[in-house]
Order: sequence, then C-alpha cells, then structure tokens
Amino acid sequence: MKGAELVLQVLQQHGVDSIFGYPGGAIMPIYDALYQSDVKHYLCRHEQGGAFSAIGYARASGKVGVCMATSGPGATNLITSLADAMLDSVPVVAITGQVSQAVMGSDAFQEIDVLGLSLAVTKHSFMVRSVEELAETLHQAFAIAKSGRPGPVLVDIPKDVQLAEVAYHSEPATAAKAAPIYTSLANAGKARSLIAAAKKPMAYIGGGVHMAGAMPQLQQFLAANPMPSVTTLKAMGSVAKDNAHYLGMLGMHGTQAANLAVQQCDLLICLGARFDDRVTGNLQKFAPHAKVIHVDIDPAEINKVRFADAALLGDMKQILPAISAGTDCADWLSHCVQLKQQHGWRYDHPGERIYAPLMLKQLSERMPDNSVVCCDVGQHQMWVAQHMRFSSPRNHLSSGGLGTMGFGLPAAIGAKLARPQDTVITVSGDGSFMMNVQELATIKRFRLPVKIVIVDNQRLGMVKQWQQLFFNERYSETDLSDNPDFVALAAAFAIPGHCITRKDEVESALEAMFTWPGPYLLHVCIDDKDNVWPLVPPGAANEEMITEAQA
Amino acid sequence: MNHVLNITATNTPAVVERLLQVTRYRGYELAGLQLTPRSDAKSLNITLTVSGDKPIHLLTSQLHKLYDVQQLELVSAELAVLSA
Repeated sequence: MKGAELVLQVLQQHGVDSIFGYPGGAIMPIYDALYQSDVKHYLCRHEQGGAFSAIGYARASGKVGVCMATSGPGATNLITSLADAMLDSVPVVAITGQVSQAVMGSDAFQEIDVLGLSLAVTKHSFMVRSVEELAETLHQAFAIAKSGRPGPVLVDIPKDVQLAEVAYHSEPATAAKAAPIYTSLANAGKARSLIAAAKKPMAYIGGGVHMAGAMPQLQQFLAANPMPSVTTLKAMGSVAKDNAHYLGMLGMHGTQAANLAVQQCDLLICLGARFDDRVTGNLQKFAPHAKVIHVDIDPAEINKVRFADAALLGDMKQILPAISAGTDCADWLSHCVQLKQQHGWRYDHPGERIYAPLMLKQLSERMPDNSVVCCDVGQHQMWVAQHMRFSSPRNHLSSGGLGTMGFGLPAAIGAKLARPQDTVITVSGDGSFMMNVQELATIKRFRLPVKIVIVDNQRLGMVKQWQQLFFNERYSETDLSDNPDFVALAAAFAIPGHCITRKDEVESALEAMFTWPGPYLLHVCIDDKDNVWPLVPPGAANEEMITEAQA
Repeated sequence: MNHVLNITATNTPAVVERLLQVTRYRGYELAGLQLTPRSDAKSLNITLTVSGDKPIHLLTSQLHKLYDVQQLELVSAELAVLSA
C-alpha cells in the first residue's frame, strides 16, 4: 500500500472515526486515500477552525482529536489552535502534508519550515523522512499526545513519503502504548500531616483532576476530608453540584467567596492546577497564610511559581486516596458558607434590557442535563463561568490558557460530533463570533444541530472594560456597532435565528431555540455598559476586588 | 550565574533547536554549546552552558520534558572550570 493509505490504517487502529481538515497540494495523496476510507472527514472552512473542532472533540470526549492540513498556509493556519491545545493540555494529533523531499529547502511552492514552527506550540513534533518510519511515528504521536500531561503532537509528512509503497499489516499489538505514569507517594505522609493539622484547609482544583479520570476520587476525598473548594476555569463542573462547600471559580473574575476564602486559608491543596497569573493575581500576596500541597503529573509545575511544602507527582487517582487524613474544621466550613451567602450573585438588574448574567442563568437552568457549552473569549466567557452550572468539566469548553477568540463555534462542532446525543451550545460574543464565522458552513454541510447564542454588546467588551477602568475611557478600536445582522448571516447558511433585546423575551426565545430540532442562532442584544464583576485589578491581591457597587 | 548541563540526546534533526528554544523562552542566555555524536551516531553528547538569575531547576525541569533528551545532568559552574 501507499504511505497515504497507511496513515488512515494507523488512525483506525487508534480508534479514530472523525478527523477535521482541509485539503491542498502537498496532502493530496492522503485525501485520495480518504476517498474510499471508513474514516469520516469533516471539511472545515479554515484550518484553524478544523483544529479547534479537533480540540472540542477531544475535550468533550476524552479521546485524541485529529486534524489535517496541507503544507505552507494550511500548516501555519493550525498554529494558533495547536498553541491553544498546548496551554490547555489537550491531546491532539495534527497531520500536515509537506512538499516532496527532493525540493525541500528550496523555498518550493507552499513550502514552510513546519517542524521549526511547531517547536513552541506542540508537546512534540516529527518530520517523517521515509515511509518505513511512518507507522511507528504515528503510533508514537498518539502515545505522546495522551500520555502524562496531554498535549498536541504534529506529524509532518512529505508528499513523496505519502506516495511511497510500503508493506504494512496492521497489528494492534504494535501500537505504542502510553508510557506508564510514575507515581511517587513519598510525601503522602507529610501531606496527611498538613491536612490533619490544618484549621482552614482549601481545595484548589484544576483541569488535571478530570483529565486524570479522578473525578470519583475527588468526590471521595472531599467527602472524607470536608473542606471548602474552588476551581479554575478549566475545572468548572469538577465538584458535585450539591456540595455545600464549593465556592466557585477563583481568580481575576472569580467569586468573592472563593477569593476571600483562599486569601484566608492556612492550607491550599492544589490538585492538577498551575497557579496561573489569572488565578493568583499578585503572586506575592496570594494565599499569604497558606502552606501548599501540590499534586500534579508534570514535575515542571512543582515549585514553578509557588513553593510547595509537600509535592506529589503522578497519577491523581492513586494520590488522592493516599493523602486523605480527615479534617476537623467546622468553624472554617461555616465561615465559608457564610461568605458564600453574604456574597451571592444578584440578578435584580433594573430596566427592560437583557442582563447577560441572568440570561445565562436562565439558559443554564433550561438546558438539558449533560449539555456541552462552548465559549469564546471575553466578557461572555467570564459570565458563563460565573452564572452557569456544569456537572462535568467535559461539559464546559472554554479556551483557558491561550484565551483564543474564535474557539467557541468550531469547538462546538467537534463536541457535537463527539457526543451526538447531547445538546451542544455555543455562547459567543459579537467580537469572537466573527473570528471563525466561516465554520457556519461546516454546520450547514453536516446539518449539525448546534445552538448558537451570541451575547452582543456591539463592543470588544473585555478590552472596552479595561479601557474604561485603566485607560481613561479611551475606547481605542473596540466599537463594533457596525456588526452584521447576525440573524441574516445565519440565514445565509440556512440556519434559522431570532433576535431579542428585552428581558421578558428571554424565556420564550430559549424555549424556541431548544424546541427547534436543528441548528439555531439566538442573537441577544445587551447594554454595552454592562461589565464583568467582581474584578481583581492588575497587580492587586485577590481580596482587593472591585465590585459593581464600588464601580 | 553560569550553569553547565551535560545532556545526552537522541540525534534528531531539531534536537538542538528544541534545547535552545526552551532555554531562550524560559529566560536563560546561552553561554556555551558543544556537541559530539556518540559512536553509534544515534545520540549526541551535548554540553550546554547557560546563564540566568532564576533558579536553574526552572530550566532543567522543562528540558527534561523534551522527548529527545535521554539524560540531563547539572554540573556546577565551578566544577566545570576545574575539569576544563
């Protein structure tokens, strides 16, 4: 068989049933092999969108997402999405065509050094030099993408390798296995002592817990060691909805209860998180009274930004039971419950205009169980994190580390294909939506019943908010009041839609959106003066939040 | 402060670029680089000298994650001078 056919055989060996991509000159042999393959290819309309769909597929399902692109511009269009997967630790395999080795290095048509470009945005990358090494390289790519801390892997395949003949008999046993996880429990005793001695313990939960498959162990740990908990953006949905001691998201736009409690705690148990600057605010003033237990699978995260008094490396599923010590902190628990009640959200917004936090709360209450919500980036993203509730982190797909506008719509396509039985909703902003709007064509082509909610304030809202607060109200290039008619735009892709402007229209509009069997766009117009609160200003400690009342 | 790292790495086309990219991105300056292929030509012996104010473990922990790095040993700057 040809190298191109071998690629598809190996993908099938790894259980890949869906790939996202866009053809072009240097990857034509693989697209030719696809023509008669059982692997389903979903044509995106821009490679960045295709790779985001692979990320959405991976994050919603827990499997490896696969995307493909041609050489040159096809490959460079993947870079932003690979960077997104890198910073959010998403297992993705990207396959790129490359010009033939005979002309490589001659600035050939659509030739660019993709291996060089990949260094900063992938966990690892390969250039395949001969068809004999093609199968083994692809096996390695899958093993690396999903092993340890997951991440994106790129495989660049020259056209002559795709066309070369090779004898290949697929043997599942030859597939490279993910490297076993080395777990060290050497510091478990120290961690148990810290937990047993703590008067004000706090669990700080990140995306690493659910990616390790340790959701049951987390609930058991929180039940056996009652303590308040907070989550990062990537971990929303990790703590059972009925856990009274869960305080919400911490950080720049976290809840007041979460931020105040973390600042007061005397032991911070960081589980699969990395003390990101959007979480810590001023690092020197973050959780100033706390000793730290840090559990992670990546040794490079230990002591990277915050010293760990006890560090445990490896498999979260093994570590959580091993550090369970029992807690005795009734006063602290009731104090945190009080903080939560004292600083609860208020939805009594004056006037007729739609208040996005309330609308999202209504959406959250109305959406079917196990719905997947895919966000874009900006104010609407923070409102989703604050006002919607999730039963699993796999149901809330938000571009965390890279903060990539344009993520939501293509990620929803991938999520819908990964979980066709579940409702998939994109919540986007009027700025972000336009960044990958071409993927409406993908939704149309495959008749994907994705629900699209655009929260439209006719602004690049988060940048506008910072201009208002920190740049003397100099609104440089953030006015989008000449937006297109979003309902008409959807109609051009045969997607029905509706526009609402008043609070009293919200419930019936949501009802109509969920009742409609196919894709649907709901255009929600809000006041451009609404901002995201609370906010920890740059350089401030997390207890120094600006609230709406103060602003 | 200079730090000397003795590295054994798989001899792949981009291995030196990977080492230098991580060194630069993580905030260290290159102060010296020597490499010699081992007898089988499949691996390289690399001596990487870097300078930086940050603790060196912030660099070594990232270099350890590179798939082409087989072994990495931190030698103190003083020792390197003595053995030179």
